[in-house]
Amino acid sequence: MSETVDNQGVQAVTMTNVNKWFDDFHVLKDINLQVADGEKVVVCGPSGSGKSTLIRCICKLEDHQKGTINVLGTELNDKVANIDEIRREVGMVFQQFNLFPHMTVLENCTLALTLVRKKSRKEAEAIAMQFLEKVRIPEQSVKYPGELSGGQQQRVAIARSLCMNPKILLFDEPTSALDPEMISEVLDVMVTLAEEGMTMVCVTHEMGFARRVADRVIFMDEGEIVEQNTPQEFFDNPTNERTQLFLSQILQH
Amino acid sequence: MTDTTYHLPPQISFSQKLKNSLFATPFDFFLTLICAALFALLLYWFIDWAFISSIWRAEDEPLCKEASGACWSVIDARHRIIFFGLFPFEEHWRSTVACVVMIATIVASCVPWFWTAIRLSALWLIGFSIFYILMHGGVFGLSVITPERWGGLALTIFIFAAVSIIGMPLSIVLALGRRSKLPVIAKLFGLFIDFFRSLPLLTILFTAAVITPFVLPGWLQGDKLYRVIFGFALFFAAYQAENIRAGLQAIPLGQDEAGLTLGLKYWHRVSRIQLPQAFRNSLPSIVNQFVITFKETSIVTIVGFFEILASGSAAFGTGKWTVHYIEVYVFIGAIYFIFVFSLSRYGAYLERKLRVGHV
Repeated sequence: MSETVDNQGVQAVTMTNVNKWFDDFHVLKDINLQVADGEKVVVCGPSGSGKSTLIRCICKLEDHQKGTINVLGTELNDKVANIDEIRREVGMVFQQFNLFPHMTVLENCTLALTLVRKKSRKEAEAIAMQFLEKVRIPEQSVKYPGELSGGQQQRVAIARSLCMNPKILLFDEPTSALDPEMISEVLDVMVTLAEEGMTMVCVTHEMGFARRVADRVIFMDEGEIVEQNTPQEFFDNPTNERTQLFLSQILQH
Repeated sequence: MTDTTYHLPPQISFSQKLKNSLFATPFDFFLTLICAALFALLLYWFIDWAFISSIWRAEDEPLCKEASGACWSVIDARHRIIFFGLFPFEEHWRSTVACVVMIATIVASCVPWFWTAIRLSALWLIGFSIFYILMHGGVFGLSVITPERWGGLALTIFIFAAVSIIGMPLSIVLALGRRSKLPVIAKLFGLFIDFFRSLPLLTILFTAAVITPFVLPGWLQGDKLYRVIFGFALFFAAYQAENIRAGLQAIPLGQDEAGLTLGLKYWHRVSRIQLPQAFRNSLPSIVNQFVITFKETSIVTIVGFFEILASGSAAFGTGKWTVHYIEVYVFIGAIYFIFVFSLSRYGAYLERKLRVGHV
């Protein structure tokens, strides 16, 4: 289930000269990014810098207009078969959790297992419980999302993604909508996943998390990748002045 | 945990609440008294008219002139016309059983156990088949009775059920079509919906009943009743589609995105994620549309069908009964009330049930 970290030769995600516009607004400018299999990449940057758009492009929630994106050897274009193939391998965790409010926690997890993976209900429930245990929330399986705290909801959302056995997990500001006391329970789960070798691309401002698990930190501003480096170098010796400004702003408090 | 004191909110007794809301000031006291007196008086008049000073049996009709209350003799004598319209007298049992079957089908489809595509379709297929065989006949030694002679309550219920059953799936298709990402499809469905919403129901029924026979080839026409039901269903679907679309609009975009990233196909995202939430969001207006439709079935009188209201007019339309139209209308009003009130109570029950787990 977990990937081994040592096959660094294989690229999980390759973005080449990717450009995207929202009408006239140029959100992504010549993005070149490679994520190796098993690598953990943290993307940060000021709001509106295009970091969310970047990872949303990887699972085709947004279309890019120029350049190529290759995910696990499959070209991401308009071919339905390719999109399906990529979405099968890529999981996504959202800022707003996006759990299905009309289903119980367990049903949230088993829905795609039965409909997409064609598992029997029994099998699906066994898999779902296994991952709910992994995010330490199995006792909530019969509740509805509305009855859970934000941190619990986000952990369910992570379990729901894990049920599909993804090779890559994308996180779009997973802790930004949480009350401060709930952030660590979600980050703990993410650290566990990272330690198990999951390929992860996280948009987050949790710099402690970045230092602890990231192989690489990417800083984006105005649609460009401005700087990327190991967490150590990135935080201690940022070279670009925009990075320095950003870091001074978020680390001030 | 042991010596925690729980601070409960101060308890207000019912009589205290009553006092606060009804008798707080002398003016409130005065108003409450006046309203209560008026209400009691109206209630007394009605009970006296309907139950105490009223005449009940058909053969007691001559007493009605003396009595100050209602003359229910007209119902006793003429209820068969109200319930069955022009349906042949000796076959009334068929219409009765058909009605019971159709009401049972409607009630059963309100039970959550039936809410799967297979069970619901099977239920309605069986329900409609039994209804049709009983009403129309022609098999099992039942004599043929063509739809022109159907009438009364059976016809009202049949039109309502048929319009709902054709209109509901159609409204879902229309609502989804109007939200299509392809501009051509969205515009076309939008035009269709707005076209049928902009026409008065009367016009649609009239067109279906009278004009389409000139336009359509014979094999496509079908019976007048079915044309009218189809036209009615289009009208119903156009309105219901907008109710459902409102429910769809209210769902956050992230729901569909979550479905996409889990690899769910369009139809699964629609049927398992969007529609259940859309129905919950716009349940009050969806139920409302059913209520309106039940009452609007009376419009088919215009194109020559004897649904329950028209049958009622026929019931007091002859001889000595002509003076007793109030009793007949009150009776029919009560029948409408039973159906519509059940519908809206059911809607309220659904709202409570679906609220569980809502964010």
